[in-house]
Amino acid sequence: MAALATFILAHSGDAADPELIHWIKERLDQIFGPGPWAVVAVMGLAIFAIPVFVVVVYLLQAKRRSDFEHIDQETQEYEKAP
Amino acid sequence: MQTTEKTNKPIYYGWYVCAATMFVGFVVIGVRNSFGVFVVPMSEEFEWNRFTVSIAAGLGVLVNGLCQPFAGQIFDRTGGRKMILISLAVLGTGVILLSLTFHILFLVFMFGIVVSTAQSGPALSNTAALMSRWFKRRRGTAISVNSAALSLGGLIMVPFSMYLLQATNWHVAWIVLGVVVLATIPMAYLFLHERPEDKGLFPDGDSDPAAVGAVARRRGGPGPLEVTSWRHAFRSSPIWQLSGSYLVCGMTTSVLAVHFIPFAIEDRGVSGTTAATIFGYMMGLNIIGVLGAGILSDKIGGTKNWLALVYFVRGLAYILLVTIDSVVGMWIFATVAGFSWIATVPLTSSLTAEVYGLKAMGTISGISFMFHSIGGFLSILLAGLLFDLSGSYTLPFALVGALLFPAAISAFSIKERKYSARYQTSLPTVAAAGD
Repeated sequence: MAALATFILAHSGDAADPELIHWIKERLDQIFGPGPWAVVAVMGLAIFAIPVFVVVVYLLQAKRRSDFEHIDQETQEYEKAP
Repeated sequence: MQTTEKTNKPIYYGWYVCAATMFVGFVVIGVRNSFGVFVVPMSEEFEWNRFTVSIAAGLGVLVNGLCQPFAGQIFDRTGGRKMILISLAVLGTGVILLSLTFHILFLVFMFGIVVSTAQSGPALSNTAALMSRWFKRRRGTAISVNSAALSLGGLIMVPFSMYLLQATNWHVAWIVLGVVVLATIPMAYLFLHERPEDKGLFPDGDSDPAAVGAVARRRGGPGPLEVTSWRHAFRSSPIWQLSGSYLVCGMTTSVLAVHFIPFAIEDRGVSGTTAATIFGYMMGLNIIGVLGAGILSDKIGGTKNWLALVYFVRGLAYILLVTIDSVVGMWIFATVAGFSWIATVPLTSSLTAEVYGLKAMGTISGISFMFHSIGGFLSILLAGLLFDLSGSYTLPFALVGALLFPAAISAFSIKERKYSARYQTSLPTVAAAGD
């Protein structure tokens, strides 16, 4: 039972095997050096870049969306006309 | 009319919903998988042994698996937006409160119950149900993007937590992770909406279902097994075929996640670094595999055939694993198995939606995922037991691997053309004759 619990503890996610994570850490250390803050900053920025990117794309598309809605409405009115 | 053709169509809103669920899943799974990195510093400070801490993790796995059907039922009744937002608020607060841990019972309660229950809200079973509402023709693709994000979450958030711990201490690291969870709320609030109709749209962004021609007509009618309650679904065979296969999926992925590296080191004599490299390579391939499975099932159809193929290919990979006694064999195994690792998720979820409809999809998916968790739990137990008895992982791997072939037959024998909404014709069309 203790062995099972330790297994669950060590491997609570498919993609987070401790050996794999250790390997990833070694590769990152090679790139950024052993100091942790550089990696924290880079990874933190990468994580928060995801929602920022999505919001920026959404805002950039705002004009296209309103143009399309306007044209779509006009088309529907045109098709309904006798 | 000419102006309409000239104007580029904007990105369909469903893809923003997909991006939001992807980011939420990425963070939530990352935080869950990060628990392991907190064990050593917390154990050292409070002088807990590993078994004591593992109670919290074990309870968390159990609670998370058992809560998914209930979270699915809440999703079906109240909607995904409200449930996911509340879950994220509870989860973020719970993770921050973990920084105040002063006793093992506090950790067991906060992580094993509060955090793990909250994690079942934005679980893949529910986000897949949400994707199924927004997408019809590209359902498999949208769910596969969500599934791939979970893999990425584990691979990025866990090293992030490790470095955060190294740079600060476990109190600060839990607070930062909690803040990251809370930071997903604005994006979820902004983009998560229940149905395309709420935004005046149709699934897949089609301005009018008739506009996509034969494909829309082919997918027009509800399937004969469409249900309003999950109980009705479990009176028919497809859900048992899907859940039975999913149980085997859970068995064969979990057993490898836990025992693959010890197997590579002890049975095959591979170094720890090489074993981790092979495992990392396999995890990288699974992102390609899951995206490919979703896209191919959407483009070509025959979801149950792809699902059967995934189980069959994984079965072949297991044969290679137990028969080729060399490092080359491990690499071949990783290549073949990598493509099939989580490819079952979008295929099972989209087939469930197509057969049973969307009204009880959250609950039905939650129950299927529970089967997956049970399979994983049983296989870890079985493999540990058989390793102790035989001194090798060959027997447990051969046993669970052999189950993949009945799972492939079970998936292949689903009468998709009879039951799936995708193949129902609401209008007599020429296209239907081609089926």
